[in-house]
Amino acid sequence: MCGILAVLGCIDCSQAKRSRIIELSGRLRHRGPDWSGLHCYEDCYLAHQRLAIVDPASGDQPLYNEDKTVVVTINGEIYNHKYLRDKLKSHTFRTGSDCEVIAHMYEEYGEDFVDMLDGMFSFVLLDTRDKSFIAARDAIGITPLYIGWGLDGSIWFASEMKALSDDCERFMSFLPGHIYSSKQGGMRRWYNPPWYAEQVPSGPYDPLALRAAFEKAVIKRLMTDVPFGVLLSGGLDSSLVASVASRHLAESEAACQWGSQLHTFCIGLKGSPDLKAAREVADYLRTRHHEFHFTVQEGIDALEEVIYHIETYDVTTIRASTPMFLMSRKIKSLGVKMVISGEGSDEIFGGYLYFHKAPNKEEFHHETCRKIKSLHLYDCLRANKSTSAWGLEARVPFLDKEFLNLAMSIDPEWKMVRPDLGRIEKWILRNAFDDNERPYLPKHILYRQKEQFSDGVGYSWIDGLRDLANKEVTDSMLMNASFIYPENTPTTKEAYYYRRIFEKYFPKNSARSTVPGGPSIACSTAKAVEWDAAWSKNLDPSGRAALGVHVAAYDEASAANKKPGLVNGPSHKVLEVPKEVAST
Amino acid sequence: MCGILAVLGCSDDSQAKRVRVLELSRRLKHRGPDWSGIYQHGDFYLAHQRLAIIDPASGDQPLYNEDDTIVVTVNGEIYNHEELRKLLPNHEFKTGSDCDVIAHLYEEYGENFVDMLDGMFSFVLLDTRDDSFLVARDAIGITSLYIGWGLDGSIWISSELKGLNDDCEHFECFPPGHLYSSKLGGLKRWYNPPWFSEAIPNIPYDPLALRRTFENAVIKRLMTDVPFGVLLSGGLDSSLVASVTARHLARTKAAKQWGTQLHSFCVGLEGSPDLKAAKEVADYLGTVHHEFHFTVQDGIDAIEDVIYHIETYDVTTIRASTPMFLMSRKIKSLGVKMVLSGEGSDEVFGGYLYFHKAPNKEEFHRETCRKIKALHQYDCLRANKATSAWGLEARVPFLDKEFISVAMAIDPQWKMIKPGEGRIEKWVLRKAFEDEDRPYLPKHILYRQKEQFSDGVGYSWIDGLKEHAEQHVNDKMMQNAGHIFPHNTPNTKEAYYYRMIFERFFPQNSARLTVPGGASVACSTAKAIEWDAAWSNNLDPSGRAALGVHLSAYDARVTSVGSKLGATPGEMPARVVGVTATAPGLAIKS
Repeated sequence: MCGILAVLGCIDCSQAKRSRIIELSGRLRHRGPDWSGLHCYEDCYLAHQRLAIVDPASGDQPLYNEDKTVVVTINGEIYNHKYLRDKLKSHTFRTGSDCEVIAHMYEEYGEDFVDMLDGMFSFVLLDTRDKSFIAARDAIGITPLYIGWGLDGSIWFASEMKALSDDCERFMSFLPGHIYSSKQGGMRRWYNPPWYAEQVPSGPYDPLALRAAFEKAVIKRLMTDVPFGVLLSGGLDSSLVASVASRHLAESEAACQWGSQLHTFCIGLKGSPDLKAAREVADYLRTRHHEFHFTVQEGIDALEEVIYHIETYDVTTIRASTPMFLMSRKIKSLGVKMVISGEGSDEIFGGYLYFHKAPNKEEFHHETCRKIKSLHLYDCLRANKSTSAWGLEARVPFLDKEFLNLAMSIDPEWKMVRPDLGRIEKWILRNAFDDNERPYLPKHILYRQKEQFSDGVGYSWIDGLRDLANKEVTDSMLMNASFIYPENTPTTKEAYYYRRIFEKYFPKNSARSTVPGGPSIACSTAKAVEWDAAWSKNLDPSGRAALGVHVAAYDEASAANKKPGLVNGPSHKVLEVPKEVAST
Repeated sequence: MCGILAVLGCSDDSQAKRVRVLELSRRLKHRGPDWSGIYQHGDFYLAHQRLAIIDPASGDQPLYNEDDTIVVTVNGEIYNHEELRKLLPNHEFKTGSDCDVIAHLYEEYGENFVDMLDGMFSFVLLDTRDDSFLVARDAIGITSLYIGWGLDGSIWISSELKGLNDDCEHFECFPPGHLYSSKLGGLKRWYNPPWFSEAIPNIPYDPLALRRTFENAVIKRLMTDVPFGVLLSGGLDSSLVASVTARHLARTKAAKQWGTQLHSFCVGLEGSPDLKAAKEVADYLGTVHHEFHFTVQDGIDAIEDVIYHIETYDVTTIRASTPMFLMSRKIKSLGVKMVLSGEGSDEVFGGYLYFHKAPNKEEFHRETCRKIKALHQYDCLRANKATSAWGLEARVPFLDKEFISVAMAIDPQWKMIKPGEGRIEKWVLRKAFEDEDRPYLPKHILYRQKEQFSDGVGYSWIDGLKEHAEQHVNDKMMQNAGHIFPHNTPNTKEAYYYRMIFERFFPQNSARLTVPGGASVACSTAKAIEWDAAWSNNLDPSGRAALGVHLSAYDARVTSVGSKLGATPGEMPARVVGVTATAPGLAIKS
């Protein structure tokens, strides 16, 4: 990833302003430790902090068209850049950077080229000929982007909130799949796939087509000039990513430079379920596996930094981000600059446990659509910012545009969880990779049931967080919470603790409004809470809530029910079922 | 390098204090991007940000003795750690880290072990059995270290100023070669080499002994488990480092992991003398050479960052630090974590141009001693912090303890510059590496004359800085400078500009006192100004001052006094200098 910051039309071209922008851009340096650049045209500034993944030698930014009248600062990867270059035969390119096509595409097609890009990206493009500009963000919001407005009439764009929160009067998340055009004076959505309208599709389930689309999505993402690896928690999603990546690595360009053995990475408290599950998969795939151990204390010591980097006070996100944040530092210290990760699968296939209770296929489908649309506030935010905190880039093949289109066109009947038919959650994905001749994964891994949330890194992690919050937040603090924090009021001591840290770093109203809230059970949207009358009385957005839907829970329902609020707890330990840090 | 921060006896063991110490420690994260650790024992905190060079897998800090009663946080490299481990046969080591020996040496020898360490280091050791602690810094101050005092009675130790300046009532540079012992309640110097008293030595010059000692100093520094390289400006010092490294690399452990071909790095404005000179040396040595180009605008845009990182307002240091700072970022982005660099040679051998005017060998020698003692505030500060800003470690073989001892024991008569006898500056070093059979460097490089200061990266760099300052500092500001900055008053607009930035980041009175000042001509100490009556009228600490001592000046050629790019001693070929047009503002007299 890189970090971008653009300030447009601030009526100030002084040295002081330039220094200020350099300073603010410096707040994004963790995202792009390799080099920085600043282009200033009158009172428009485009700043960039670069993480060099493709063409490290010459791809420094900002990027330009031939006569330097069009300037682009971008954070992202354009996987189809070679194809796009071929379409721009009359253009001369200055660098080998995948992002350079953007300035040229704009010259050729005007503002309507964004949907031609295949990849993840956030960019600001300045056309100095008429001082117009556009800003755009990828379809799902894999890369973060914020937009802000200054009292001086300026418009600001930044990869992270911290670069503009102090200087803008108001700011917000830049919506994924949207484009801001100064000519049109506003935002519009450029991403219009069939699923977006939430109509219930009726496409057939073709396992081999789904498999092929996913394989293609992974292969695209092997485009790199630097060492890379895969985040492997041992759950279904990350194991599939690792399996497909290792299968196709040998044919990729990356293998010529970095060897054909895949590196995999896993983190957990010592002896945690994830570590065990990942080790098993790594052994099966013969990857070069790296295990990182952290202690509850190390996680707690990192919390402030995590919140500063992730820019949220959402409890589930913070719990899951912390191990990922710690692991990213270790991965980067090995010289690895890019990892492929399994985010998005649970949203597309309805992998969360509460989907067991979806009343019908229509509800099921709508909920998956809603989940995908809010990914940029949750798992995309976490995956991108936890890794970028250390100059590591995360790529997410499940959120490939083409794969998404295919997966979301399947009749949701197929996705429904049907214990009677032996279909557990994400069955269509599992079945697509069930290959007896050349197995992607051993059957018991392919069909093992997903555990939710951050327990995979070790059971005591969340308990440790709660203990800390109980010690540091008093009852009277929590009692006054709704007066202190009228918006998204924290309902637990843990939430209060995180919120306090967030407010310290981001004290503005605009900042707290960028974080989602509302009722939720075990990661559901507010709407899905209606699926079970019991849920609305037992709201716990963080996910350990009693759902009564886990296989283990089916088996041991009576035992589990004796511990309200922690129903799945004991059975976890008995079964030692792995779960995915990366996707919870 | 790593970053260390210790807060000792602050009478506060709350979660809030822990969070504050963690936050302050993160200000040193650039020094140690790989991992961090904190140890808390009551109201004692030892925090660490690690750059993993030796034993990346298990060497996370703090480090402990067997029963975890002694805790150490270290920034540094102990080159003789394997020999020291052998001295401790009954100790069990928990990691493969070179710094692991410190806790065990303390157990074995008490507070008197510091002189046994061969390397560069700053550490804090806490003995939890009696809550006593020990702090020490290497002989010359290659690693940076500060000490501070809180109003709550706490003592603070930090690798950089920014780790403690906001929380201490008073703070200072931790003097190099010293240790602070809580039992003694104060500082004492542990480094006591013969040269320190500044008595004039009389050992005859033995070229082969000097060569051998330097080769040893380089070889020691090839101890690494990660990719490394050499900063190569093409001048004598960095070229010798590169040549010796290239020669011995094949036999090291590092070569088995990272290949036998040496990587070398050079920075400059496009077409600059350093780039040309370094390329020539790299071609001769067959290194994998990397050139980085920057623009004057790139440099100016980096100035605030540089001052924040280097923590000085010294003009020469900032000028030389900036290209090194930019280059370090590029080097790190290639995956290289450690570089060897040529600092110290000019101080040890009197390589600065003003040494031409040394009236006698006694004065010459004393000035070299003074220069070495001040290194920690100038070139060591620059080399360490400009690289550490990007998690890159710089090692400096010319400041090897043994090498300094040998070089400073030579009768200074040999170091004196005698144009009549064909002895230019640093002749003893050049001569030592003149080998007809297996030449270290081609003769014209070995004997090309050193240019001073930051011109090597490109003549327009300093001009660009001056112009920039001219635009942003007006005459009125300069008139009031003495009132605004009564201590170390800036006397140029450039100095004023840097000072403004420094004061913004480090507004405390203690902070400005950590930066040296005083009269200087072309990097001399105040004392050496007495060598030439004309100098005191024409003070210019930044070094373009007219000295009238350059070889090309002897040749009556119009020339620019060149430069020394900080870490990469920017010598450039006299040839190149000779043909280059005079840089504006020069006052060279032929």
